[in-house]
Amino acid sequence: MTEGTEAVLELRGVEKSYPGTPPIRALAGIDLDISAGELVAIVGPSGSGKSTMLNMMGALDRPTRGNVLVQGRDLSTLSDRRVSGLRGRRIGFVFQHFHLIDGIGNIENVATGQLYQGVSRRHRRTEAIEMLERVGLGHRLQNRPNQLSGGERQRVAIARALLGDPAIVLADEPTGNLDSKTSDEIVELLRVLNQQGSTIVVITHDRDLAASLPRTVSLLDGKVEHDSAHQDGAQTVLASS
Amino acid sequence: MRRGRDELSFLRLADVMRVGGLGLRARKVRTLLTALGIAIGIAAMVAVLGITASEDAQVQAELNALGPNLLEVLEGESITGAEIVFPVESADMIERIGPVEMAAQISTVDATVRRTEFIPAAQTGGIAVMATDLDVLDAVNGEVAQGMFLDEHSAEIPSVVLGSVAAERLGVRSLDSTPIVYLTDTYFQVIGVLEPVQLAPGFDRTAFIGAPIAETLFDAELEPQTIYVDVVEGWIDDVRTIIGHTIRPEAPDEVTVTRPSDAIEAREVTSESFRSLLLGLGAVALLVGGVGIANVMVISVLERQSEIGVRRALGATRRHIRLQFVVEAAMLSLLGGIAGVGLGAAITAGYAEREDSVVSVPLEALGLGVAAALIIGGLAGLYPAARAARLDPAEAVRPG
Repeated sequence: MTEGTEAVLELRGVEKSYPGTPPIRALAGIDLDISAGELVAIVGPSGSGKSTMLNMMGALDRPTRGNVLVQGRDLSTLSDRRVSGLRGRRIGFVFQHFHLIDGIGNIENVATGQLYQGVSRRHRRTEAIEMLERVGLGHRLQNRPNQLSGGERQRVAIARALLGDPAIVLADEPTGNLDSKTSDEIVELLRVLNQQGSTIVVITHDRDLAASLPRTVSLLDGKVEHDSAHQDGAQTVLASS
Repeated sequence: MRRGRDELSFLRLADVMRVGGLGLRARKVRTLLTALGIAIGIAAMVAVLGITASEDAQVQAELNALGPNLLEVLEGESITGAEIVFPVESADMIERIGPVEMAAQISTVDATVRRTEFIPAAQTGGIAVMATDLDVLDAVNGEVAQGMFLDEHSAEIPSVVLGSVAAERLGVRSLDSTPIVYLTDTYFQVIGVLEPVQLAPGFDRTAFIGAPIAETLFDAELEPQTIYVDVVEGWIDDVRTIIGHTIRPEAPDEVTVTRPSDAIEAREVTSESFRSLLLGLGAVALLVGGVGIANVMVISVLERQSEIGVRRALGATRRHIRLQFVVEAAMLSLLGGIAGVGLGAAITAGYAEREDSVVSVPLEALGLGVAAALIIGGLAGLYPAARAARLDPAEAVRPG
């Protein structure tokens, strides 16, 4: 598969139900393509299926029905070890609560992004330092996460997500725990990183934030309510890998 | 597109160790307290093994000093029940066996020994009278406490040498006043008193007189009652089998040959059950330590759900997560094991110092201690690690 405008992430009729009586249907048939170089917001009220959607896109969970393809690879056909490998190499995660590991420094935290790819420690650390400088934390190399402000922590998390140049970065409410000024800075950072070539999906309940991004996908009751990409006729054809 | 191993999750061995040690470094006090449980168990076991090994070494040293190459030849049991009589020259016969350094015999004399003639003959005080070869004391590695042992001259006249208990019972404390004792009907001069003889405890309750005087005064036949045989090192078992054939070829089975040092060694066996008890207690402590580790690891897994989720998101497989927690538990336990081995060795050294005995900490005990800790830790980590690996990554990273 070639890089460029090809889809890096494809959801084909993805449904997800959680056990219960009656079963809780979190996603009710989602079709979505995200192409390389996009900056997409997935927005919706709570309960609309955003988190489930993130789990599907990030290969953290498997759909009940339908297929998820990352760079053309169908996740349903892969073993845990291969899915984990794919997650580690091709998908970067940014979480609302940062989820940095206490007890190790910023460099090590970022370097963890490549820990499970068999990359040597020295190489990981070199890359991690470069990445920390890229997100504007060149002066915080020797600190630990608990010595940083919220915005700085999220920058560390973003650096970790970007390490190893994943095909797509999934940011789950990246500004949910930050004040508005810091939020703006983080959004701006994501924008810059996107301009530098990273494909980024931001999951948020903040409609203003979503509207400020180039493409917005609205969810409601587990379905795509609106996709701004479809307005200008740019709907992606159903491509098989 | 890259294929093969590049597509898989992969964790280097060095990173396995690094990740495993992370949880320990992050919670130092908890790590120390948990490791302490294992340390106590291992220390107890190493100390028990070390102290018993030191005691064994001590006994061995004693034996070596006494001469472990002594054989004692006694009458056995005859099939017919008839009295067994060894040839008078048994010691000489045995001495002709190649690897025998020395053989000496003692013979029962039908006599009693009393302080004076006024003591009734029945009150022997349990003291035997023996006619003896002159080199018997050398053969059993005995020592004279006072005076001298019999020599060629004193063996012909009424001279007697008393064992330590015999001397005490006869009231002979010092030879300064040239004490005399009464043997059946003759006064003998006490010319020597022996130290207790470890390898031949019967000597302590014996009055020794020379063979010539015994023949003269008591008509003794001088058939040997016991023969003491010193053997060249390494030939004990060979000589042992040959003695019967040498002095009683017609019925070698009727000769009993024992090794007195075996009895001293057997003394140690009595402490065996006590040792087992202590080892058992150590094992219980170790088990409790292992349960402690499992407990702490379960708590740790609960506390670190988000870390586990993040690691899964960053590419860790279930196996990697399991490995991380098993290695962490094993490291925790290993830490305790190393501390315990050190502590156990120190206790052993301290004990040996106090008892003034040989320090002997068996290397196997040290290795075994560390290995046991490692295994227990690994086992204790299995369940918590499995729980960690089972965690749903999507659930684990969920906010709140």
